[in-house]
Amino acid sequence: MRLARERKGQFIIIAAMLLSIMIVSVSTVIYGTVTYYRQERWEEYVTIVDSVRTASSNLLQVGLANYAQTSNSTVLRDYFNLWVRDVRSAYPGFGVDVGYALANGVRSAYGVSLNYSNGLALNWNETTSYAASNATVSIDVASVGLTGYNFSSHVFLKMSIRDAVWYSKSSKRYVNIYVSVDKDGPEPVVNLQAGNFPYVKLGGVSQSFTVKRYYSSVYSYFIYEIRISSISSLPSSAEVTLLDNRGIKTISYTTNIQQDSS
Amino acid sequence: MEDLTTRMAKVRNRRSTKGQMRVVEAIMATLIVIAAVTFLYFFAATPSSQANDTSELEKIGHNVLHDIDEQQLLARYVYNSEWTNLTAALVVSLPTNVYFNLSIYDIDHHSIGHPLIQYGDQQIFSSSAAVASVTYIVPGYQTSYSPRILVLKLVNG
Repeated sequence: MRLARERKGQFIIIAAMLLSIMIVSVSTVIYGTVTYYRQERWEEYVTIVDSVRTASSNLLQVGLANYAQTSNSTVLRDYFNLWVRDVRSAYPGFGVDVGYALANGVRSAYGVSLNYSNGLALNWNETTSYAASNATVSIDVASVGLTGYNFSSHVFLKMSIRDAVWYSKSSKRYVNIYVSVDKDGPEPVVNLQAGNFPYVKLGGVSQSFTVKRYYSSVYSYFIYEIRISSISSLPSSAEVTLLDNRGIKTISYTTNIQQDSS
Repeated sequence: MEDLTTRMAKVRNRRSTKGQMRVVEAIMATLIVIAAVTFLYFFAATPSSQANDTSELEKIGHNVLHDIDEQQLLARYVYNSEWTNLTAALVVSLPTNVYFNLSIYDIDHHSIGHPLIQYGDQQIFSSSAAVASVTYIVPGYQTSYSPRILVLKLVNG
């Protein structure tokens, strides 16, 4: 009888000890799970990598804008050489090292064939004109052992003259040029104003004009309607110069101007 | 009669001993569990509280600058000295309880002349132990390469 009571007492204590071990074990697992990402100090260099990546893409944009306006064909290489040096001093102590490879040769993107030289490509004075830049950038962060992080970045601007029409039967004769503009994505650019079109020429002569923008059910696309009033004869050509909000320029040109006498 | 009295006394004594043992066992079990919980309390390094954790603020600050940059506004504000617009953009993008202070430097870490770009009580930056700092680079604007380093300091108000 006494022996049975002693065994029962031992069981309660053993049960309490087992319960304690379970509490400690479960708490350890839960704590490890909850705090796993807090112990990983990854945010700091992820932020740096993301910042350098975004800035490198912006640099392609600045280089393309410069090339489109000045025709300096080595500007992107020059800018990247400066960028590689400046990133090191912008993040002292992190060991950030940027490398780059500019695109060269023919590459296809967004439905057009782009012929790059030193990472830059221009195709102007066509019905569909474009300006593009492309580079592969690598980022190393020595302080956290990150090496070989590569990404390809590109900037793109395309303008298409969908139609150019001379309305001759109207009391006020005028020419409408229907233009669509796309940027990288590709996605339509919808926020341009008249000031983004510095020159509109008919037959090589600069004209004053107005711009209307709307989604056209005819083209099933977002369209800029450029109207040049008081045009008494069918022009031989139409030329539109575009300077977008990033400073990138392109020029579209067509000799296919239709006459609408309805 | 005496036998019966003696036997009853023995039974009562045995019952009381059994009850005391149960109490002792319960106390010992309780002590073991308390010891386990106490062990956890003293040896578990609890994560820092949200008030002292700057990583969330850093992420918020970086995301806000990145979003403004994606909208092609950050470079325009910085290079065209549109400081009021830049302050307004940061105020509307950051949570209302987050105070900020933005400084802009050239690539050699020399401050460029600009008015205070800040929001909230600036005393809290010196008194708070958890001030987050985000560094963001803008390489240039339009056709010009001229890097600017933006240092955004954030604190929970």
